[in-house]
Amino acid sequence: MNEKMLTTLQELRKFALNKGITAEFFFHEEDSALMRFANSAISLNTNEHLLRLEITAYEDQKRASFSMITNLDAVEDMKQGVLQAAEIVKHAQPLSYQPTIPVYQETIIEDFAFDPDLAGISNSEKLDYFNQAVDGLESDQIKLGGIYSSGKNVIAMMNTQSEHAQAFTTSDAQITMVLSHKTLKWEVIDEQSAQKKADLDPAPLHRQLSYLLGHYQNDPAEQVPLGEYDIVFGPAATAELVNTMNWIGFNGGMMKRGYSFLTEEHLGQQVLGETFTLVDDPSRRETFPFSRDMMGVRREPFTLFDKGVFRAFTWNQDDADEYGAQPTGHDVMHKSLVVGAGDEPINTLEELVNAPREKDVLYIPFIHYMNFVNPSKGLITGSSRFGALLLKQDGSVVVPYNVRLTQSLLDIFGEKVAWMSDGQVAYNTSSSYGARNPTALVVPNFVYVKDLAISHANSSY
Amino acid sequence: MHQQIKAQIDRVVSSGAVYADARWYPVEEANHLTMWNGNLKHASASRESGMGVRVLHQGAWGFSASSDMNNLTGLFDKALDNARTAAERVTFPIRLAEKDAVQASFSSPNQIDPFTIPYGEKVGFLKEMDQLLDQPGVTQRIVRLTFMRKQILYFDSEGSEIEKNIIEVFPSLGVMGMDADGAAHERTFRPSRLGDTRGWETIDQTLFTREGERIVRELNQVLKAEPCPKEDRSVILLPGIMFLQTHETIGHALELDRILGYELAFAGGSFVTLGDFGNLRYGSEKLTARANATVTNSPGSFGYDDDGVPAQDNLLIDKGILVGAITGRQMVEEANATARKPIFQGSSGANRATAFYRVPIERMTNINIDPGTDGTLEDIIKNTEKGIVLDGDKSWSIGSNREQFHFATEIGWLVEEGEITQVVKNATYKGDTLKFYNALSAVGDESTWELKYVDNCGKGQPSQIMQLGHGIPVCRFDDVRIGE
Ligand SMILES: [Zn+2]
Repeated sequence: MNEKMLTTLQELRKFALNKGITAEFFFHEEDSALMRFANSAISLNTNEHLLRLEITAYEDQKRASFSMITNLDAVEDMKQGVLQAAEIVKHAQPLSYQPTIPVYQETIIEDFAFDPDLAGISNSEKLDYFNQAVDGLESDQIKLGGIYSSGKNVIAMMNTQSEHAQAFTTSDAQITMVLSHKTLKWEVIDEQSAQKKADLDPAPLHRQLSYLLGHYQNDPAEQVPLGEYDIVFGPAATAELVNTMNWIGFNGGMMKRGYSFLTEEHLGQQVLGETFTLVDDPSRRETFPFSRDMMGVRREPFTLFDKGVFRAFTWNQDDADEYGAQPTGHDVMHKSLVVGAGDEPINTLEELVNAPREKDVLYIPFIHYMNFVNPSKGLITGSSRFGALLLKQDGSVVVPYNVRLTQSLLDIFGEKVAWMSDGQVAYNTSSSYGARNPTALVVPNFVYVKDLAISHANSSY
Repeated sequence: MHQQIKAQIDRVVSSGAVYADARWYPVEEANHLTMWNGNLKHASASRESGMGVRVLHQGAWGFSASSDMNNLTGLFDKALDNARTAAERVTFPIRLAEKDAVQASFSSPNQIDPFTIPYGEKVGFLKEMDQLLDQPGVTQRIVRLTFMRKQILYFDSEGSEIEKNIIEVFPSLGVMGMDADGAAHERTFRPSRLGDTRGWETIDQTLFTREGERIVRELNQVLKAEPCPKEDRSVILLPGIMFLQTHETIGHALELDRILGYELAFAGGSFVTLGDFGNLRYGSEKLTARANATVTNSPGSFGYDDDGVPAQDNLLIDKGILVGAITGRQMVEEANATARKPIFQGSSGANRATAFYRVPIERMTNINIDPGTDGTLEDIIKNTEKGIVLDGDKSWSIGSNREQFHFATEIGWLVEEGEITQVVKNATYKGDTLKFYNALSAVGDESTWELKYVDNCGKGQPSQIMQLGHGIPVCRFDDVRIGE
């Protein structure tokens, strides 16, 4: 933890108190690097070191904020930012409720999830990792793409209500490797998520990519006839589907505003299938958790669905203030969503392909460009991508051209779930969409759902 | 600072780089105000400054960015070092299409700088609009104002020096209500760019009042409406959804980096190949599309791109035939070399970065459809036997090569034998891109053409959000599956 960041917080707090300003201060520092591959070359090798400061000022029921990209030497500039926030709040309009400002009871400084070796991994180590993972797999037609995203992330916060601070430092790496066919335009993918350097291992990626290439290069390809299929979702697809429930499912504020397929009547009801258990579990290190939320509330495991029974909405402080609910420790940059494992001992693609089957089964590892068609019904749409397989009843394998699924989450995770793998994997869903925020979900390796309709099937790759 | 930047560019070039450029943002400011059901949920301002440096060395790019201007040497060295590593894995050595070195400046046209307007006045506007939307049937009302102002100074090793000062205003109104089944429906209004300027003066109270009343009225019609039937019909897309159709299945599909496979690991590719230029029948003869960065009042007009290439107006699709792409200096060289013929005559001036800490990539400018000869909206409806008029972008999902799509809209009006008969809810349509554009059977005239803006187009890794525009007439497509 950077001492200077803490002393700067103290200085800003003192400044605000002297000026009679009630304010919160939030630092986000990232030291990010990204090596991007395309057409078997490094198409971009970039790094950025950015320090963001967000100042939120309060005046009775009024609230306003000012944010800036700055550096720790620019304290005078930051103080101007405090005055700016205080100026905006004067002209704000009172909220219909009293917003809560946290009073931190103790100083929390946490860096157990920080590994300097991962944060500072060198250009040549990253390139070596990629070279090992695709050793011998590239050709004139098969091209490498993907990213090696890694970095350090610090968030630190304090406010005028107490002298205590909370600061969390993490390191992370997200690796995506894609092999694509130059002219046919199909792609296969494998990914890895790391919190420590020791989590990194190119060998499993090499195995998985080789296996998928074998099928994509040797098996026949075809347009999938429209109709209902048993579908096996891979980790990326499952993680993406579960993540949508953050928006249109168990988020209390979104529910109150009508954007959710869950309502208060669903509490305690069997909403999804009995195989589906979902917990926000900050004890799972792979999800890049912090021990406290931004209100200073200790993060504890929080059950959302227990064997399909809907247990609770999550409430952040602002929504709880507005709707008179109890906050649930969910003022977080990301949750730690964990889908409970099932009891099927099928955990690798090879095991899935070799397992006996009574009908054709569609394996969909990845859902591209998912969107909400009708949030109130949980209806989503998206296309398959990155290495789907059609596992024929007779044991053979066909490469399917991409298909579109337009389905309700209530069906996908409802009674139609036949089984889930007994093993889990962390799937990294980070996106550097403004500020580094490493995020991962833990999901079963496979989720097998019966009788889901395909609404569109491409006629070529 | 100018001299220091130029000295650093000279230094990295003398250390072996073949090209270098720097974008210095002395200041970029934004201001977001959101009033949600009368609560001023967001009243925020932001300010940032910094520099991004791009260095081309032995056929590979290195990029580095920092908000700390006290160590320019370190910043340029890091960019060069990043390029040295990238040079260890090169498949097509990068070279840049020719361009003229320019010393120039660009300022977006605006009469009133929104940052000079007192917060009280802005909040007053939100309050007035919120009260206007507070009507029976409306459960959620969302009024937003976003303002951006940035100054960018561009320098490159070929002698270009460009200053840009850009101001943008993005307002919107939204209402939501629940139907008898407890399902949510929404209607939004984002104004088209009507005048020649893009400052605070575009917030026309009379227009917002009229349009606010309209979306409340239409929301209430949707709440009582029957569901959209599941069948094939002609779809008549108003600019409020046709802009997004164009964005997703012409704009993104014609970004040259996607066509060349540079986004295959993430955003996706394109069904278009280099062999298609000059040959592919993309749509019916009624389809003429262009990338026009010279429209005065749009966020897709910026004077000079981040390669330092001047804004242009280029045809993309000429009477249905694919003729052009959205390009920057790097990709046209690779495309021409790969195709072994000069498909592209230099950069089209569309390489842009969202911030100082991002690298420029091919981005849409204003991807427009030319007005047609099929008359007004009323004329098109009158000439439609069995159709549906659609408006409002509710959801969108597009295949990874932009070959197929599914859109949900906020409202639909069924058309039977030339007349609108009823409003329907949950209207959706889907299709295959080429089949769809080849079924384009009517394009509205100038009276139907509107310039829409997009303020949140995402692309690239690390992610970049870009602002751009679409000038779009009413378009009709035949035999389209709706209601799924
Ligand atoms: Zn876009």
